[in-house]
Amino acid sequence: MKRKSFLAVALATVMVLGVTACGSSSGKNGKAGSSSDGKELSYANIELGKDYTDLKANITMFNHRTDMDSDEYGGKNWKQYLEEFNKEYPNIKVDITTDTNYADDALTHLQSGDYETIMMIPAIDKSDLSTYFVSYGDIDTMQKEINYANTWMYDKEVYGVPSTATTQGIVYNKKVFEEAGIKEVPKTPEEFLAALKAIKEKTKAIPLYTNYAAGWTMGAWDAYMGINSTGDTKYMNQELLHTKDPFKDYGDGAHPYNVYKILYDAAAEKLIEDDYTTTDWEGSKTKLNNGEIGCMALGSWAYPQMEAAGEHAEDIGYMPFPITVSGKQYALCGADYSYGINVNATDDEKAAAMVFVKWMTEKSGFSYNEDGLPVDASTTDTKLDFSGVELLQDDPAVEGEEDLLNSLNSESELAINAGGNDKIQAIVEHGANGDKSFDDIMKEWNEAWTKAQEAEGVDVK
Amino acid sequence: MGEKRQTEEKKGLVAWAKSRKGQQFFTIAGFMIIPLSLLLIFTYFPFAEMVKFSFYKMKYTTPVDRRIFVGWQNYLDVFRRSDCFGALKLSIYYMVGAIIQLFLALYLATILSFKVKGENLFKGLMFFPYLISGIAIGFIFKFFYTRGFVFDTVLSWCGFQVDNLPYWLKDQAVNNWALVGTSVWRYLGQAMVLFVGAIMSVDAGMYEAAELDGANKFQIFRYIILPSIKTIVTLNVILSITGSLSAFEQPYVITNGANGTGTYFVIMNKIAHTNQKVGLASAMAVVLLLIIFACTILQKLFFKYIFRNADSEDESYAAKKERRKMEKAKVKAARAQGKEV
Repeated sequence: MKRKSFLAVALATVMVLGVTACGSSSGKNGKAGSSSDGKELSYANIELGKDYTDLKANITMFNHRTDMDSDEYGGKNWKQYLEEFNKEYPNIKVDITTDTNYADDALTHLQSGDYETIMMIPAIDKSDLSTYFVSYGDIDTMQKEINYANTWMYDKEVYGVPSTATTQGIVYNKKVFEEAGIKEVPKTPEEFLAALKAIKEKTKAIPLYTNYAAGWTMGAWDAYMGINSTGDTKYMNQELLHTKDPFKDYGDGAHPYNVYKILYDAAAEKLIEDDYTTTDWEGSKTKLNNGEIGCMALGSWAYPQMEAAGEHAEDIGYMPFPITVSGKQYALCGADYSYGINVNATDDEKAAAMVFVKWMTEKSGFSYNEDGLPVDASTTDTKLDFSGVELLQDDPAVEGEEDLLNSLNSESELAINAGGNDKIQAIVEHGANGDKSFDDIMKEWNEAWTKAQEAEGVDVK
Repeated sequence: MGEKRQTEEKKGLVAWAKSRKGQQFFTIAGFMIIPLSLLLIFTYFPFAEMVKFSFYKMKYTTPVDRRIFVGWQNYLDVFRRSDCFGALKLSIYYMVGAIIQLFLALYLATILSFKVKGENLFKGLMFFPYLISGIAIGFIFKFFYTRGFVFDTVLSWCGFQVDNLPYWLKDQAVNNWALVGTSVWRYLGQAMVLFVGAIMSVDAGMYEAAELDGANKFQIFRYIILPSIKTIVTLNVILSITGSLSAFEQPYVITNGANGTGTYFVIMNKIAHTNQKVGLASAMAVVLLLIIFACTILQKLFFKYIFRNADSEDESYAAKKERRKMEKAKVKAARAQGKEV
């Protein structure tokens, strides 16, 4: 009952604000933190622990970390973070909703116009950022505060603060690799496949578990086709857009072709799970932890989850993706989902949300706890060890082409790094059934890409 | 004079409003306006929007002014692309399943309508799957079909060697049948309950009379039950066929539409939500609607033909028309006669 009447009041408030809020922010700012009067709300200006400490607000957050809802989560869960946050900011109540189908549902939330105060920014066009989210400040100021500030930048304004940063490699069970007699971590596709074969012969573990049925775990393979396979920071957001037939075989043991070929070959040589259509994501974590699985191709965000999934945390390791570009290994590091703040929220809610985002970034230790790379610019703490591998970030798209990758993805339906799971599932199917050669698949992708480039009128080199 | 007429008209209107007829009109209008406006706002308006989307090239998040009008392009694409229209081929699997399901349901319903022990228990057991949510069924069957799990175990009790069995979801020769099996399992109970309800409404005296005449059970079914429940049979067939055209839950939850199990709806969902081609997906939806319309009309005609002389009580449309014509002619003739007299 209480909740109902609260909802009614909230709804009424929202509706009234919806009519009056546009343009006029006067008269609402009076109660905000004393030291911030007169200052424009910006990420850099907020001093944690001093500003807005008596601000009263109820805000909501929509998030993809369903596992952190659970009390049994191995690391620190949402409840613990919120408890800590409320010690400093007792009057800001944060209500976190999580969703397993986040990438799709978040877009639906945005489109409805009625979305949470803080969202993890889903795949939207950068030119639409200001329609949905508040700017944290301009890029020059933000670069001093956080790493990866340009992830969600448009027109020199920053609309997203990364929750954590990850790199792309392979999560594996060290003990299984040892039992199979693999002394050094494989660095090329050939070495990797040889290692998988050794695992199949010498141990009972499944060499490479694809997690085919979950879908998104297959889409994760797209993450390796940029820096990992080319070592080129401009590749993903600039060159790929203008490359003719990017999926062709360059014959150099690198480039996207060889990334997907690893998967095809592994499927063809039965180095993956027997019945891939009935895989179980949650179960796969425990299996890797127990040594029933050799390795899985997942971003470093998965590393803590694998450690937490059983009693053998020390067996789990994380290695660079087995592709060497001219004698050197590269790894993409980049922002994970970023916090975006609802542009339609009230000023108090916006301030509260920004305080929470800054607290999550600087004080919560979230990124470190989740085995991520640091987001806060003032620290270098991380648990990942990638010595000898150059960690690089994708350069942003050149001006005027910010949305081009999205458009090409949509037009070609390859949906690279944007939920294009089915195309990679098809690689496994064709590999296992042997009904289509890998080169034919890549040819189809090239054709789709060329068509999309023509439809969008892109210059091709 | 003009003024006078106006006031007279006004008076007439007020008087009409106060009259029984006027009151009737207002009551009807008053009651109609709520459901009608709900229907318009929540069904027809969104549908009209979707039809409009189908002529545009747009994503969900594209602002209105940047949507590009492309005419019939999306519709052409629906027919040209192998994955859109081709996905309808999978519906054939589900239609075969639907037919099996109807025969089974009719058979079970007929048996249950004769005196059977534990009749209600059986009805309950068979209707039960329909009550479970489709998502839960998806998860149940994913484990059911997993290698070495439930289905394989049961078959091995029957003497099958697990090594000789196919992978139910991996093997593309059987995976669609596996999904259809799930669908039949789920909807069988519902179809059966509809049949049981219809059969119960048949006058029990008819059975007695038929038995006295020496009819056997099959003849009772063929000449008494089937004609009496033909409306429900038609309804069930239409529901199953449209259902198989729009099969979604099972492939979406169990296989995610991968491995050659992507039905029309699953593909549509992918195109709309992953690839953000909202225009194309809307066009697919409109095309499917037209196909379902066509199927329904064809079925209606088919059943009209099948049942054309099954029951004399329900005359055919043509016969009705003919009779009305005759009656009208009679009345006319009578009037003409009266005038002359």
